[in-house]
Amino acid sequence: MNLLDKLRAVGGSEVKKDRPAEVYTDCRHFAVYRDKEEFPGAYDLTAGTLRLMSDRELPDGLDPRRILYLDTETTGLGGSGTVAFLVGMGYLTDNGFEVHQFLMRDYPEEPFLLKHVAAGLRKFDVLCTFNGTTFDVPLLESRLLMNRMDRSCLDLPHLDLLHMCRRLWKLRLGRCNLGRLEEVILGKPRTDDLPGSEVPARYFSYLKTKQISLLDDVLRHNAQDIASLCVLLNHMADLYRHPEKIRFSEDVYSMGRALERNHHTEHARKCYRLARRGRMGGSAGAALAMSYRRSGERERAAEVWREMVREKKGGILPYVELAKYEEHVRRDLSAALEWTEKAMIMVSEPSLREGPTVQEQKNELQYRRQRLLRKLKEREETWDS
Amino acid sequence: MNVTQLADQLRHDHIFMKDVTRWEVLPARRARTAPFPSCLDPRLKPALERRGIHELYIHQVQSLEATARGEDVTVVTPTASGKTMCYNLPVLSAILKNEDARALYLFPTKALSADQVSELYDMIEEMGVDIKTYTYDGDTPAAARKAVRQAGHIVVTNPDMLHSGILPHHTKWVKLFENLQYIVIDEIHTYRGVFGSNLANVLRRLLRLCEFYGSHPQFILCSATIANPKELAETLIGRPVTLVDENGAPMGEKHFVFYNPPVVNRQLGIRKGSIPITRSISGMLLKNGIQAITFARSRLTVEVLTKYLKDLVRDPLGNAGRVRGYRGGYLPGERREIERGLRNGQVDAVVSTNALELGIDIGALDACVICGYPGTIASAWQQAGRAGRRQGTSIVFFIASSAAIDQYIVNHPDYLLKKSPENALLNPDNLYVLLSHFKCAAFELPFADGDSFGNSPGTGELLEYLSEQGILHEADGKYHWSAENFPASEISLRSAAEENFIIIDITDPANHRVVGEMDRFTAPMLLHENAIYMHEGRQFQVEKLDFDACKAFIRSVDVGYYTDADLNISLSLLDVEREEPFAGTAQAGLGEIKVTALVTMFKKIRFDTHETLGFGHVRLPETDMHTTAMWWTLPDELADRIAGDRLKNGMMGIANLLRIVCPLYLMCAPQDVAVVYQVRSPITDKPTVIIYDNCPGGIGLAHKAFSMRTLLLEKALQVAEDCPCEQGCPSCVGPVGEIGEDGKKTAVRLLKELLK
Repeated sequence: MNLLDKLRAVGGSEVKKDRPAEVYTDCRHFAVYRDKEEFPGAYDLTAGTLRLMSDRELPDGLDPRRILYLDTETTGLGGSGTVAFLVGMGYLTDNGFEVHQFLMRDYPEEPFLLKHVAAGLRKFDVLCTFNGTTFDVPLLESRLLMNRMDRSCLDLPHLDLLHMCRRLWKLRLGRCNLGRLEEVILGKPRTDDLPGSEVPARYFSYLKTKQISLLDDVLRHNAQDIASLCVLLNHMADLYRHPEKIRFSEDVYSMGRALERNHHTEHARKCYRLARRGRMGGSAGAALAMSYRRSGERERAAEVWREMVREKKGGILPYVELAKYEEHVRRDLSAALEWTEKAMIMVSEPSLREGPTVQEQKNELQYRRQRLLRKLKEREETWDS
Repeated sequence: MNVTQLADQLRHDHIFMKDVTRWEVLPARRARTAPFPSCLDPRLKPALERRGIHELYIHQVQSLEATARGEDVTVVTPTASGKTMCYNLPVLSAILKNEDARALYLFPTKALSADQVSELYDMIEEMGVDIKTYTYDGDTPAAARKAVRQAGHIVVTNPDMLHSGILPHHTKWVKLFENLQYIVIDEIHTYRGVFGSNLANVLRRLLRLCEFYGSHPQFILCSATIANPKELAETLIGRPVTLVDENGAPMGEKHFVFYNPPVVNRQLGIRKGSIPITRSISGMLLKNGIQAITFARSRLTVEVLTKYLKDLVRDPLGNAGRVRGYRGGYLPGERREIERGLRNGQVDAVVSTNALELGIDIGALDACVICGYPGTIASAWQQAGRAGRRQGTSIVFFIASSAAIDQYIVNHPDYLLKKSPENALLNPDNLYVLLSHFKCAAFELPFADGDSFGNSPGTGELLEYLSEQGILHEADGKYHWSAENFPASEISLRSAAEENFIIIDITDPANHRVVGEMDRFTAPMLLHENAIYMHEGRQFQVEKLDFDACKAFIRSVDVGYYTDADLNISLSLLDVEREEPFAGTAQAGLGEIKVTALVTMFKKIRFDTHETLGFGHVRLPETDMHTTAMWWTLPDELADRIAGDRLKNGMMGIANLLRIVCPLYLMCAPQDVAVVYQVRSPITDKPTVIIYDNCPGGIGLAHKAFSMRTLLLEKALQVAEDCPCEQGCPSCVGPVGEIGEDGKKTAVRLLKELLK
């Protein structure tokens, strides 16, 4: 038996070979044009708004036409053997939105594809993707490296919508994939779209048959993803500019957290105030009060806590915080003791709170109460003498 | 009582000494040292001196100098001879000289790497320099991985992680690959057989990537004492190495006691079992407060002995916890706890499989009991090395089982005490192994026409085959990976089997928990339904074995027996590679075969008395394996002259003799090679004795046996003729009850005819 026959015996012998190769001079290019009207508000996007949404360093006076929206279609889920066979790049022009897609019709076209991608990236100031920080960018980096090409084209500020969307909608939606966001947030569910998991298989069938029509779905899917990135970013920007438009208390509260994370304290407080009316009232109130406390505005924080007590929101937290405030800021030990004892009554109501933390809370309150009683006694003694 | 007192007492115990076949005292040995060589970075000297090291052992100096000359080095060192210096010093020197330099350390197990790294940390801290050493394995948190990839000067990992976690993602490791200066591989003698064949291919992949990134790393390899360290190293890395094997480290006095359990039935040649003897010797050490390790050959024996020893000290204070079992299949946390217990003295006795043979730090113990020959001399010495380090007296007991190979060793202790004749074999070109790794290599970096893959044969054919299969896509003379799967996830380096079985304890319905795992070939033997599975001395019964899902469900039980399964083997011929005449019309052949294994039944065996209590049936699918085999067919006229049963018995006798001789002269573990006889063989249609490689694809044992086909039969004949028994015993052709009254005579006659 020769080696080839042995291999066939060991691993199966059905012949599935591809067609022979040809000559390669460039990859295939497709362009898709869309109307301005599909991208409401997109031309008004400013660096200022984007800075509310992301902590990336963005150039001042950013022109929204200099944001590149990018998405790749790949042969697998990662590792050095995974290739981006299709890279789509979209951007706003004076007339609308253009998507340019570069497809390698076979592996030898990869260097051409990468050259187009690198040249494209160099023309823009900001990159926008969906999950690009963990997937698309490292993948392109890996491909450039494997082709011994310069990787510096990828060093531009990067807005990863996945992370930005998660911060805003995870609390309400749970999973935040692009399809779900289009459906729930943009209200535009996709019909007969190719599931992403079927993309590699499509490409491999194409490679074997070289029937380009097999890739129609993939191209359409890719172009749609890219347009969605732009719509989604601008929809989000609109919400950041006008949080009062948001209908869901969870989203307003989440926006507050996101803003606070990026050190936009005043914007964040505005969101917390808006959210205090809804289902997230307790959390929003607590976040607002904590925000005041962190900036040293203890009296304003206390005011929020007192409102929360009146509104019966936030469980024992406002009581405990008011006790701290009275004890440490106003040094009114009797008032502090009063808040502590009120909190103790609340945790002793069996229906109010459950779970293993209750005992811990009780212990803490008990400890606080003892300390306050001791301090009060000491003070009395000081006065007596 | 301390070890010296115990040794004295035993030597005056006539009843004990009656069964001791040799009491060897290995004298203490003094250190042989030399000054620090000039290739050492000057910053290392003060750090070494502060740790009390003013000179190096000669083997350390020799290896440092060879490394400095740019050679690939293999250092052969016994336990506790300071081998880590042989690689740490050149690596640290290189990084001190050039902070971009990188090194990769490979250890066979995770536990081992954790231990060796702590020593490296100490050195780095001593010098107060910024050399980053990171362990990269399955336990490395995702958040830390980026730092390891970018900044780690020394990356410590194991072959499995290199194979599936690093090589397929090499573009994330640019820094490492571009600047890789040293590849350190410790314990290379463990890379025999399938594991070694896999590692050799992982290294082919690694070197291929280094070439892509323009680095040319040097190797520093360490091995325990075997006969062919140079050959092993060269096969493993595919290039010539310089051997350093002059040990300069000191050693304390060591008593090595060879004990052969007494004969209890002289007619049948049956000896007292090695397990009860081990039970009493380990028990004696435990009672005397001598910290000891007991090595047993199988997981089952480990569990049985652990139970016995725990029972010995069990009391309401929880003293049974001073005795622990240790073997593969225990979860990592449990293992670390036992290792710690040994180091800090909370554990007095541990019963282990060879899992504790390697350099996992459990401190120096006073005594070691080896219950049954572990299969190789290298293993025996590593196990013995667990007792006693650089100074102080230690004692090692070797307890022979009735297995023929044990009897050979206990009656010829020089085989163990003199220079090792063992060769570690591996076969990087095993087609199964090669094909799997070739796929990984193609995934990692496309092959081009005319490329080679290390020194492997047939790159062109492999590319053609994989293109035919649609796994590679050829375009413009390059072969691109074009399948959705991730090829590295489809290979396990440690066994030829792909998937392990998970063992799930369902005793508590509210809390099903995974207690261990087992490889696919062993699972049918130990995890069939109704098997008694033992873990930490506790008994479980297998309630259900889901063969397709690779899961076994077990429930805690308390019964007075354990189970032992019977394995049925059938063979069929795939291809004949060579056939040579042998003594008249006899023939010797070499070729490829398919081995089909099936577990059909099991025995229930009572604890203590070891009597058979009953049988049960096993219904499990067959497992297939392609491998290489060699065989002798008997001359027709000879076969015709010997009547049916006598011929069968004679052949059984020859097979039993070969089972003793093969591991010794083919220099492999007994389980690596299988010997079967067939009165009418489907392979040759004649009476045939067959030797095959007991792993898929083979690791070269059958080829070696074919080249030694006359010698093997001569040695078999010699064992039979030298044995004083009349009609056969377990130490030669097998017991009379098995081979019949004329079995030995017929076997000797057949062998003499074959060797005429």
